[in-house]
Amino acid sequence: MNKSKNHIYYNIKKDEIENNIYRCFFRKRVIMKVKDLIRILDAEVLCCEDFLDQETKDFGACDLLSDILAYSKDEYVLLTGLTSSQVVRTAELTGAIAIVFVRGKLPPQEAIGLAKSHHIPLLKTDNLMFTSCRKIVEEFIKEEKNK
Amino acid sequence: MSANYSKEKLTLVNELIYEIKVKEAMSKKVISSRENVTFREIQLKLKENKISGIPILDKEKNIIGIVSIDDVITAFDKGYVDSKITDYMTRDVITIPQNLSVVSAINRLDKFKVGRLPVTQSLDSKKIVGIITLSDILNRLLVVVQSIAEKVEDKEVRNTQISHDLIKSIEKNPLRFEVKGDDFNSAGSVASIIKKYFRNLGISKEIIRRIAIVCYEAEMNICLHSLGGSIAVEVNNNNAIIYAHDKGPGIPDIELALTPGFTTASEKIRALGFGAGMGLPNIRHYADKFEIKSSLKTGTELKAIINLGVKNEVK
Repeated sequence: MNKSKNHIYYNIKKDEIENNIYRCFFRKRVIMKVKDLIRILDAEVLCCEDFLDQETKDFGACDLLSDILAYSKDEYVLLTGLTSSQVVRTAELTGAIAIVFVRGKLPPQEAIGLAKSHHIPLLKTDNLMFTSCRKIVEEFIKEEKNK
Repeated sequence: MSANYSKEKLTLVNELIYEIKVKEAMSKKVISSRENVTFREIQLKLKENKISGIPILDKEKNIIGIVSIDDVITAFDKGYVDSKITDYMTRDVITIPQNLSVVSAINRLDKFKVGRLPVTQSLDSKKIVGIITLSDILNRLLVVVQSIAEKVEDKEVRNTQISHDLIKSIEKNPLRFEVKGDDFNSAGSVASIIKKYFRNLGISKEIIRRIAIVCYEAEMNICLHSLGGSIAVEVNNNNAIIYAHDKGPGIPDIELALTPGFTTASEKIRALGFGAGMGLPNIRHYADKFEIKSSLKTGTELKAIINLGVKNEVK
C-alpha cells in the first residue's frame, strides 16, 4: 500500500486471526473501549458521554481527510489534528466510533454539533499525535502481557 | 499460550462449550439410591431406568458414593451380589459444580474416564442438584445450535423482505440532490443522507461504507472544483448506481486527474484537509465499475456502480 508522508495509519493487531482465536478460546478480549482513552491519553470528553462504551481494536491517526477515506477501516477511532466540521463528516461517513483531537486543539462549535447529531463522541488531548499513538500502542502491549 | 491453538479450526461449537453452563445442560431428574440397599436392587433400578450408574445419597441429598454398572458386574462375578453396597461402592466420587461451563465437564469426563458426573450445588457443597453425561451435553449443544440457526434464518428472511420493499421503492424514484459549488460547510451532507438511506435497506455495513465514501468524494469534487452540479442514486438489478454531474469547467486531462497524488486544489482546500489528489482514485478504488466523461464545454459526468450483494435477485 502506498502511504503518503502525512499518513500514519496504525493497525494495532498484526494478526487478526490469532486475535480471534485468543478471544474464542479464552474469552478474554484485547479490545479497547472509547472511555479507556480518557485515562490513557488524559483526554477530555467534549460531547456524547453516553456513547463511550463502544469497543474497538482499530485506530487511525491522520491529518489528511483524503487518506482517511482511502485507508480507514470500519468501527475505528480517529486521531487527528484537524478540527474542521469536515473531519466529523468524514469520520461519520467512514464509520468511526470516536474522534480524538490531538495537540490540545479545540474543534469549532458546529463540529461539536454535527458530532452530537451523529452520536460520535469527541475527545481532546494535549498529547502530540505521535505521543498519543505511542501511548495507545503501549496500552495494548501491556494488556496483552497481562493475559 | 494463545498462538499454539491457531492451527485448530474454530467453530461455533468451540465457542459455545465455554458459554453453556453445566446447570443448563444437566438432567435435573436424578435417579439416586440410599446406601442400605443390595447390589441386586441397584441392578434392577439400572435396568428399569436404562441407565449405567446411580449416585448414592444420604438423607440431605448429599453425595456419599456412586455405583456403576461395572461395580454390579463385579459383584455378580465375585458373588456378593446380595450384600449391601455400603462396603463396595466408590466413595471418592468425581463431581462438578453447577456453575462451571460444560468444557470443564468434558475435561473431567475425559480425565477421570467416567461416564457421568453428579452435579453439586456449588464448589464446596456436596448437595446433588443434577447429573450430567456426554449425551446431555450433546443434546444441549444441538438445541442451542438449532435456536441460533433459527434466529439467523429469521433475521435473513426479515432483512431480505425489508430490503426488497425499499429497493423497489428506490427503483421507482431515484434520489437526486443538488450540490452547490464552493459551499464547504454543507459539503458531505448529501453523502450523509444517502448513507442513512442505504442503512435502511439492510445491506452489509462494508458496502454502505463504500457507497458513502464514493458519494462523499464525488460531492467534494463537485463542491471544490466545479460550478455546482448534482448527485443521483439509483438501484437497479442489485446494483447501486451513483451519478455525479457538474456544470463545468470540465477536466482537461482525465488520465492525469486519475493519477493518485495529482491535484489542482487551492490552498484554501488544502487547509481543510483535502486536496491530496486522492478523490477520483478513491472513487475508482471503492466502486465495482467506474466511468468518467468530461468535456470543457458541458462539464463532467461520473458514473460509479457498486454491487449491493443482496443474494436474491429483485424482480
